Amino acid sequence: MLARLGSQVRRGAVSLEPEPRLPSGIPDLDRLLGGGFPYGRLSEISGPSSSGRTSLALSLLAASVRPGGLAAWVDAADAFDPASAAAAGAPLSRVLWVRAPGVAAALRSTERLLEARGLALVLLDLALPGAPPHVAPAAWPRLLRAAQAGSAPLVVLAAGRIAGASATLALELSVVSARFSGTPCLFEGLETQADLVRGRSKPAAGMACVRLDALRTPG
Amino acid sequence: MRVACLRVPDLPLAARLRAEPELAGAPLVIAAAAGSRAEIVSVATAAAREGVRAGQSVAQARTLCAGLVLRTCAPALERGARDALRDAALSFSARTESAPPGTGAYNAEAACFLDASGTGRLFRSESGFATALAARAGALGLPAFVSVASSRTAALLAARAPGDPGDVRVLAPGQEAAWLAPLAVDLADPPDDLAETLTRFGIRRLGELARLPARALATRLGPEALRLAKLARGESDDLPIEVTLQAGFEEATELEAPLERLEPLAFVLRALLGRLTARLEARGLACGELGLDLGLAEGGCEARRVGLAAPTTDLRTLLRLACLALEAHPPRSAVASVGVTTSGTAVRTDQLDLFRPAGPPPALLGRTLAELESLCGAGRVGAPGLPDDLRADAFSLEPFPLTRSSALAPKPASATPVQALRALRPPVAAQVRLSRGTPHWLHSAVANGAVLGCAGPWRTTGSWWSSERFAHDHYDVRTSDGIVSRLRHDRIQRSWHVDGVYD
Repeated sequence: MLARLGSQVRRGAVSLEPEPRLPSGIPDLDRLLGGGFPYGRLSEISGPSSSGRTSLALSLLAASVRPGGLAAWVDAADAFDPASAAAAGAPLSRVLWVRAPGVAAALRSTERLLEARGLALVLLDLALPGAPPHVAPAAWPRLLRAAQAGSAPLVVLAAGRIAGASATLALELSVVSARFSGTPCLFEGLETQADLVRGRSKPAAGMACVRLDALRTPG
Repeated sequence: MRVACLRVPDLPLAARLRAEPELAGAPLVIAAAAGSRAEIVSVATAAAREGVRAGQSVAQARTLCAGLVLRTCAPALERGARDALRDAALSFSARTESAPPGTGAYNAEAACFLDASGTGRLFRSESGFATALAARAGALGLPAFVSVASSRTAALLAARAPGDPGDVRVLAPGQEAAWLAPLAVDLADPPDDLAETLTRFGIRRLGELARLPARALATRLGPEALRLAKLARGESDDLPIEVTLQAGFEEATELEAPLERLEPLAFVLRALLGRLTARLEARGLACGELGLDLGLAEGGCEARRVGLAAPTTDLRTLLRLACLALEAHPPRSAVASVGVTTSGTAVRTDQLDLFRPAGPPPALLGRTLAELESLCGAGRVGAPGLPDDLRADAFSLEPFPLTRSSALAPKPASATPVQALRALRPPVAAQVRLSRGTPHWLHSAVANGAVLGCAGPWRTTGSWWSSERFAHDHYDVRTSDGIVSRLRHDRIQRSWHVDGVYD
């Protein structure tokens, strides 16, 4: 039968099409990630406070909505700063801000948004102060299935890695330095290091240094 | 002109069955008031088979039917049923009007007239139109009789003809008199004395009355008999039915016992919202803002208004929002009556648009927004905004636009990514030690230790003319624990807070 079918059948063929990815807007990081964050997959950005997580997430948000799409920021920590998002270049009218009153509401809201389909990005902010948020182990595979069905990149922001094996990609951020300089002294931004600790595509590991510039100060 | 009549023969009974459909088939009676001496006003078929009749007392009815199910008249339920009947009619024609209240043997009926001209072309036949209308009324919990004729009178008389709910009667133009002829004179609801006279004369059918000479009829029996004969021929001076202006939607009920806890109240709300959404869907509308009216057992009433991010008819979403509103602001005492109201909002219809920017279809996005609001609470879902406010932490949350421009947004001025801030809501109290007016040591729940880097202060003031005046000095500080935060000194309150963390 195989001889009759001839070249119509390939055994053990591997797709040569690159997986579509959402660029983060940071060239060095996109090179590390093989193009950006994968669609229809769950990715993690983790790190302690002042490690640059939120700056990276907002850059990704801006990159996702600038071409005209919609993105959602599910905010369990109620920490989203519209001024920072606007400074990052995100048109605020294209950002859906969901101020979830707790982790459970945030998870359910994320699932609803993924089921709606058509969103360019769904970002779940679980970087709550204090102890890591309690998330039932069954929640992550469920969110992953919803992300796969909805074809949107789902990115989880947290203080530490919490999605386990459900995450296709995991970035851990750490601060290198905080720049204070000039006269009068100004806070110029953070230098942060992003380590790719989990990635199913090549390269499987690596790091990139990201420089963040402060554009706005109070007053 | 062709007129359709949508008629419910017994509104009190239909209203109760609409609210408690589990009573269908039960020996149900409706009494005018509570107590064993109260008069029965409506009798269900199962009770009538046992010999129960309208006009009997409750005590008499109980002796005839041991398993009697007794309910009292509920004006709120009857109002809702009458409005639902009108909504069923309005869903087919904007030219709808309520029939005058019935009298005598028909004082319990409720009917609507609607202009049915041309509907035969939409439904293949007038019979098809009438069948669809009856089905729509049935879907709203109101089994009804439907008839189509060339006048209101003929349509109403035909709708009163004996039969089963759901029956449709179509009187061909010019054939009204022939169709009505075999029906009883009683259908025209004559005054008692005239009815007795006609019976004595042996006139029992509308056809017999219609054949009587008009002059002799008027001379011997008066103008009322002449009017009755005209009705028997299906004639009437009908003015066109006017277009009905849309009114609001309301479903209400009085509780058998006052309720204090939210859980049983949620059951009542679910039933009310279910009937409300059914009416909205029949009219092609959705709920954009929900009103809750609570009558209190101790007297007085309270109202709640729940705004929705997007119009919806999803029962689960509306119920959750209503419950959230009651949890946030519980009634001050037990609730004796509940009502839900809405004005009805047009539903978006999606059309294929090749140039629409990527994203969920507007209708689906609207439903999702309503669900998110039910999960997170009213006013917590929307598009972020930057109000015209000098406060560093000022923000707004605007209704998320369901349609938007597909224009490409300009790239930010800086090629390098921007340093972002994570807001702390509410700001976290801090203890600060100063050295030469500059923070040199910080203690708070988010940042602690010696200040290794400090920029500022930047002063903002505003609203000096009002009670919301403020004067803040902001600092960007890096503490020895590695945290870079934004410190705020309130110069009026003389307090320190950390209101953001650079991340």
